[in-house]
Amino acid sequence: MKLARNQLTLNGKTVSFTDGETILTLANRMGVHIPTLCHDPRLDPVGACRMCLVEVTGFNRLVPACTQKATPGMEVITENARITRHRQTLLALYMTDHPQDRNAVEKGAPNQLLDLAEQYQAPLNWGRMLPIRSARDDDRNPYILFNADLCISCARCVRYCAEVERVSAITLANRGASTTVATADNASLLDTSCEMCGGCIDVCPTGAMTEKMPLTRNHKPERELRKVRTTCNYCGVGCQIDLNVDDIANDGRGMVVKITSPPPGTTVNDGNLCVKGRFAYDFIHHPDRLTQPLVCNENGELQPTTWDDALEKAVNGLQAVAKRYGADALGFVSSSRCTVEENYLMQKLARAVFHTNNVHQCAAT
Amino acid sequence: MNHIKSDVPELIQQQGGLKPDVSKQVSRHTGVAEADVYGVGSFFHLLSRSDKKLRVCTGLSCQMAGADKVLQAALDAGLPVEPCSCLAACDQPTAVLRDREVIPGVQVEEIKQTGGDWTKLKQEMSPGGKGWLGHIGPSVENDGDLAINLAGAPDWSGTALRMALTRSANHIIAIIKSSELQGRGGAGFPAHIKWQAVQSQSEPERYVVLNADEGEPGTFKDRELLMRRPDRIVEGLAIAAHAVGAKDVFLYLRGEFAYPKKSIELAIQQFRQRGLLADLRFHSHSGQGAYICGEETALLEALEGKRGMPRLKPPFPVEVGLWGKPTLIHNVETIACVPEIIKRGGDWFKNLGRTAAGTKLYCISGHVQKPGTYELPLGITLDELVESAGGYIGKLKAFCPGGASSGFLPADKRNIALDFQALAAVGSMLGSAGVIVLNDTVDMKWAVGQQLRFFEDESCGQCAPCRIGTRYLREAVNAELNGSATMHSPNLKFAEDVAWQMNEASICGLGQTASLALTSAMTYFPEDFQ
Repeated sequence: MKLARNQLTLNGKTVSFTDGETILTLANRMGVHIPTLCHDPRLDPVGACRMCLVEVTGFNRLVPACTQKATPGMEVITENARITRHRQTLLALYMTDHPQDRNAVEKGAPNQLLDLAEQYQAPLNWGRMLPIRSARDDDRNPYILFNADLCISCARCVRYCAEVERVSAITLANRGASTTVATADNASLLDTSCEMCGGCIDVCPTGAMTEKMPLTRNHKPERELRKVRTTCNYCGVGCQIDLNVDDIANDGRGMVVKITSPPPGTTVNDGNLCVKGRFAYDFIHHPDRLTQPLVCNENGELQPTTWDDALEKAVNGLQAVAKRYGADALGFVSSSRCTVEENYLMQKLARAVFHTNNVHQCAAT
Repeated sequence: MNHIKSDVPELIQQQGGLKPDVSKQVSRHTGVAEADVYGVGSFFHLLSRSDKKLRVCTGLSCQMAGADKVLQAALDAGLPVEPCSCLAACDQPTAVLRDREVIPGVQVEEIKQTGGDWTKLKQEMSPGGKGWLGHIGPSVENDGDLAINLAGAPDWSGTALRMALTRSANHIIAIIKSSELQGRGGAGFPAHIKWQAVQSQSEPERYVVLNADEGEPGTFKDRELLMRRPDRIVEGLAIAAHAVGAKDVFLYLRGEFAYPKKSIELAIQQFRQRGLLADLRFHSHSGQGAYICGEETALLEALEGKRGMPRLKPPFPVEVGLWGKPTLIHNVETIACVPEIIKRGGDWFKNLGRTAAGTKLYCISGHVQKPGTYELPLGITLDELVESAGGYIGKLKAFCPGGASSGFLPADKRNIALDFQALAAVGSMLGSAGVIVLNDTVDMKWAVGQQLRFFEDESCGQCAPCRIGTRYLREAVNAELNGSATMHSPNLKFAEDVAWQMNEASICGLGQTASLALTSAMTYFPEDFQ
């Protein structure tokens, strides 16, 4: 069979690849599943977790699909007895160094290592070793918890912090079986360059990096929550966020118990969030939050009312000022927390409806 | 050249090790992120455990000579001591590291004499004495049939280098090719292929790197070479640099090689005083306590000031090496063979060997009369080597032909040629030619435990098969030794699968070979595992 310049065979099927494409990317595109742990499309591939090894004709050893570039005429095999043995024995080894009871350890995000061990029926009878990786249990930061027992040293968090955030607050520390994720001098994240974006939590495949708040409040694990996609309202960028809702909490009214980012490659923010978008969600159910329109009564006290009534009062008030003192007596201030479209409408209201240029927004200067 | 080398490990060393706030200071000085500085410092034992002033070698040869007793005596005396991996003094057990200087041949009595003051343990007290030299063979100067000739007087004339400078790169590489010189670091890769590959890169900036991070248990030949014949090494490096078009040569010596480092630095001065090496820049770098940095890509990472974690190959260093530039990296002994090859020709060198080209420095330690470094034709047998070393002590039971990574062979394999090919054919390897002889007083399960602890301590931790597998096997063997095995502890009945996984899926040679000590011993000495 003659192959074109940009073709190879994947499990015996001829497929075309693009220049620079890795075996993993190509396989994903063709719907061929290759398991991974240390891979993240936002990061440079490192081939460290060894989960994605496949067979390539001409190579004696199994080859990491995440780092190996597709080349013309290559013959790639992703499923055979050797690869099955590899996946099972690798996962069995991982499991000797990892808690196995899902109910006990899966407090936050789904544990992808436990998932893979189930999926590939890895033997779980190889015995267990005591955890020896050091953590920072006294880190007083309010958001990010590192559970070293769950860490598989894949360094996704470390690489994300360096390559995406360009912050490098954390590092792989020590070596061998003691390899762990640490800060300089094991300082609290608050005393490092950390910006609390929580990206380390987002990329962690096992939940070793996890949100502190849902944990200390005993909220349900992520698997039992319903995700509601919405737009973050902290600024105008328009990051998509997933509200993680416990439908029966809050006396059956439902409750947002944490926020996660959509998978990379699916939304404008590519799976990234900032400290506010990811962690500052307590306003949602805060008792001080305005949840209905309020207007002042004769005694100057705010009283609940309907939207129609509230808007009518606002319109009347604005028009009265304009009529009595002229349009330039009015000023319109909006917020960088509004979207671009909302801010556009605000200036339209000022300029086209009330004929004043007195309009401002905190991100405009 | 933007980067000569990174200062991070050296600066941590200058601050007295990885103490609180050192990461901050080094970060401020270098611009490297604080966390990254900490990550580097915590990787290297000489930096991360700077409070330990003494380190007792726990390599197999030292252990067979009673290193545990020396360690226990030091602990009992309240000395700031810890066990450490092989110190490249297997011929003179027990070796103790004092700060960065190795003191060979330390006895329990000497530890007791310190009276709890570690500074009183001194070099003069040890029988190894000045300069840390061991037995060599042939022990008298022999000019006819040796590529290295350890007993020979250093030759500062630069004859080979002068000859090389008048020849084209292709001509020199052709001579190396005809010599059939194979890399002496462990893999036995044909040297000329590397030279040709670096020489033919389109990138004009190339480097030569000397791998003097000798740390494979049972191996100490590079130590002898660096101290006795640094002339051979420096001249070889200069010839290699000329052939591949490099102007910068990097020397990476393990941190415990304080004396060998002085020796090679003096040799560079000797040649310079004679007007040689004019346009070459030498950069010497000390390791900080990590065996894995003898793996060539981990060494390059360490030279760049990072954690010594091996890179994925390909690409190989000849294409993408130090700072991404084409790099020729060779073991000390490989480079030291070069001057005589240039002087006397490829055929001369090739014919020195018996089953493969050249003479070879064999290190021998353990149960033999005169442990030491012996230069012999490549392909001799164990019995011939031991004869040079004064004969066996006791009855031969097993031997490691090439360091801990080569596993164990039984006495009935004593007639195999000690070369790259023949040993590979029986599932072992010549490796660094660090031969350890074990007599019938040794329990193989105990010996395996020593080797496995070494690999566990020295695994870089980057990939799971090695990080978890080395620990798993060591715990499984320990459980057997201590009789502490339970239903839930690592178990030798899974050793075959663990070893298969480590060999198949580890990133570098450490993980790929670490299980061999166990699997070979279980194959050849099943009675010791019942």
